[in-house]
Amino acid sequence: MTLLAAANGISLPGTDDPINVSQTVGFALLAALMIWAAIRVVTTRNVVHAAVWLVVVLAGAAAQFILLAAEFVGVTQVMVYIGAVIVLILFGVMLTQAKLGNDPNLSRRNWYGGAVVAVVLFGLLAFATIDTFEDAKLPEDRRMALPAAEVGDGEVPRTESNTGAVSDAVFGAYLLPLEVLGVLLTAALVGAIAVARKD
Amino acid sequence: MLLSQFLLLSAILFSIGVYGVIVRRNGVAVLMAIELILNSVNINLVAFGAMHGNLSGQVFALFIIAVAAAEVGVGLAIILSIYRNRRSVALDELDLMKG
Amino acid sequence: MSVASLLAAADTVPAPDVEWSALSPFLVVVVGACLLLPIAGLLPRRTRVAWSALFTIAVALGAIGASAWVWHDLSRVGPTERTTVAGAYAVDKFSLFLIVVICVGVILATLLTEGYLRREDLPGAEAYLLYLASASGAIIMVTAADLIVLFIGLEVLSIAAYVLAGLHRRRLRSGEAALKYFVLGGFSSAFFLYGVALIYGATGTTNLVGIAEYLATHRLLDEGLLLAGIGLLIVGFAFKVGGVPFHVWTPDVYQGSPSPVVAFMASVVKAAAFAGMLRVVVVALSTHRLDWQPILYAIAVLSMIVGAVLAVVQSDVKRMLAYSSINHAGFMLAAVSTGADEGIAAVLFYLAAYTVLIGGTFGIVTLFGRRGDGHHDIDDYRGLARREPFLALALTIFLLAQAGTPLTAGFLAKFYVIQAVVDAGSWWLGLVAMLAATISAFLYLRIVLTMYAGVTDADVEVAEPTAEPVRRIHVPLGAKVAIAAALVLTIAIGVVPDPLTHASRTARPELVAPGD
Repeated sequence: MTLLAAANGISLPGTDDPINVSQTVGFALLAALMIWAAIRVVTTRNVVHAAVWLVVVLAGAAAQFILLAAEFVGVTQVMVYIGAVIVLILFGVMLTQAKLGNDPNLSRRNWYGGAVVAVVLFGLLAFATIDTFEDAKLPEDRRMALPAAEVGDGEVPRTESNTGAVSDAVFGAYLLPLEVLGVLLTAALVGAIAVARKD
Repeated sequence: MLLSQFLLLSAILFSIGVYGVIVRRNGVAVLMAIELILNSVNINLVAFGAMHGNLSGQVFALFIIAVAAAEVGVGLAIILSIYRNRRSVALDELDLMKG
Repeated sequence: MSVASLLAAADTVPAPDVEWSALSPFLVVVVGACLLLPIAGLLPRRTRVAWSALFTIAVALGAIGASAWVWHDLSRVGPTERTTVAGAYAVDKFSLFLIVVICVGVILATLLTEGYLRREDLPGAEAYLLYLASASGAIIMVTAADLIVLFIGLEVLSIAAYVLAGLHRRRLRSGEAALKYFVLGGFSSAFFLYGVALIYGATGTTNLVGIAEYLATHRLLDEGLLLAGIGLLIVGFAFKVGGVPFHVWTPDVYQGSPSPVVAFMASVVKAAAFAGMLRVVVVALSTHRLDWQPILYAIAVLSMIVGAVLAVVQSDVKRMLAYSSINHAGFMLAAVSTGADEGIAAVLFYLAAYTVLIGGTFGIVTLFGRRGDGHHDIDDYRGLARREPFLALALTIFLLAQAGTPLTAGFLAKFYVIQAVVDAGSWWLGLVAMLAATISAFLYLRIVLTMYAGVTDADVEVAEPTAEPVRRIHVPLGAKVAIAAALVLTIAIGVVPDPLTHASRTARPELVAPGD
């Protein structure tokens, strides 16, 4: 711990802002794992392997959410994505795939076009990001600020936990989208049955 | 932590997802690539939410997770019904119609 | 924690004010959709399709009535806008106008679907439920005042539409259309979402009022992120309306989907996507007009030209109409790209007229498709005028209206677009629009002339050995009503356009701040 504490005293080059080394190292490890797994998702020749690599990306994203103090989103990510979506996808693979092994025809032969589009898109987005937020730092205290009306002088009041704040928002300001989401799930349920059932 | 590091991670995942949608021939594999893109959006949203200190980002991310689940359900149902009719889910074998 | 303290805590949750009257069109559609399945389940199988269709029409008429009531309310009370549920939902005359257009689209599609389902021997009620669910998503899209709400509306609309494309389960092409629509639609939604995320990042809010205020008061030094967001957003919208070069899905999906569903897609989905584009891009991002205008301009020019030219060279009527819908989308995009009030009014007029025209056109295409929905080759239309004089005449009127013949709804729609474009100073765009209208007129004339051309002797000889007597087309009651209504409206809007013109001019999208 002392090592970490000492490491946390390091400053960003050229500034006095301290950087949180343990968080940054955690981010870097997760990010490297996620990028590798994502590349495997789109390049592996085995659909089941792709699904398992997708689990790694999704779990990594959940960890990133927790790093960003969005613990409720992180837990939902694990439950809905890894718990339900991946299971659905694996079901889909097994119901439609005669052979589960390697399939050389999983990708198109000429992948260059796709690679060019991806690289150009990444270049544009990376330029836009760096152009706008050169070295903007995330606040150390990632609890959400309470609405401006309640701000007194000086200290910004913070919520106790982000989960509570999220629930207040979902059943408050975002009540209408939540209800519409109910319509969406109904439509998806009926639609999936209507398409997939046998006569 | 810097905001840009999350945004760049998200941009990388987005580009990989786009690549996947373009080069994959199997319906289920394309679906997985679309999930990659949606996840990159979520990382963006939560990071922006932390940056701005407001909740819209997290709430939006939650809604996207729900929408993605519904989309996968419907998508697999469509893929399944096609498979039943023609025993294949390869996208570019669907060439009954030509431009 | 005891139950009592939990209940006490529940009181502290800030419940938003809900103005129920303004929400009424949406509520009517959603409640109708929820009631439809249980009611249909109680009906005997034989009459289920017909009664479900009647119920759906009643729901849509109810939503039109509710919108008329709210419209009247808005005119009387004075303020031209109001909001409900914490700024998520903006009810103004713009949204009410489009809700009526959407409901008319639903009614026409429902009338056509009724006969189609019975002809193709498909099970009933879920198609109508999906129409209503999709329409509720469209209503949310045209009223959304927050990008989150807009996106969820878009997804409700699209997911139901993907399934509708694959409604004819035994027909391979229908499933294929559904899969193509789903993959490209999901892809475009993801682009749209990334754009929304970037705009949220650049402005710190997803509320349209908040975005407009932020952009008006802050001068961003480094706008890269915002511009990338606007670009991705426009790509997402362009996919949904089928603008070139994001149109690749349109011909396949229109050709493969059941014909009545195409009428629904071309009217309702397009209306909702254009509404979102107008409110977000034209109104909320009006400070960045110089950035988005060239993009829309380019998409509009490409759509008008490519749509018209490729339509002429097709041999399948549904594909021709798909390319012609790309051409129509180009006209509307041209009006959007002006960013002016006249442009918005022109788009609204166009959408209303187009909904009627496309409902009638695909009504007749549905009938000509015969059982199996497969007879859509241009050669199948040869000599139809002799066997089906009334249907051929009706299709002629609809096609001439789409070409922009005077005294029909289509003429003024195109005229207002060109007027708005020229008023905004884009002579070139106006010229391109007129050129595209001329090219596309060839396409409509080609179909009409084929219908009125006689059957040559060679055709008869080829047809004779099969000895298949060409039966007259059975026209179900629903299709009769839909086609007659569309005909009356097409002519009525062409001859007496003033009410619609006036309504489209008063229906300007407003930005509604919460608490107003």
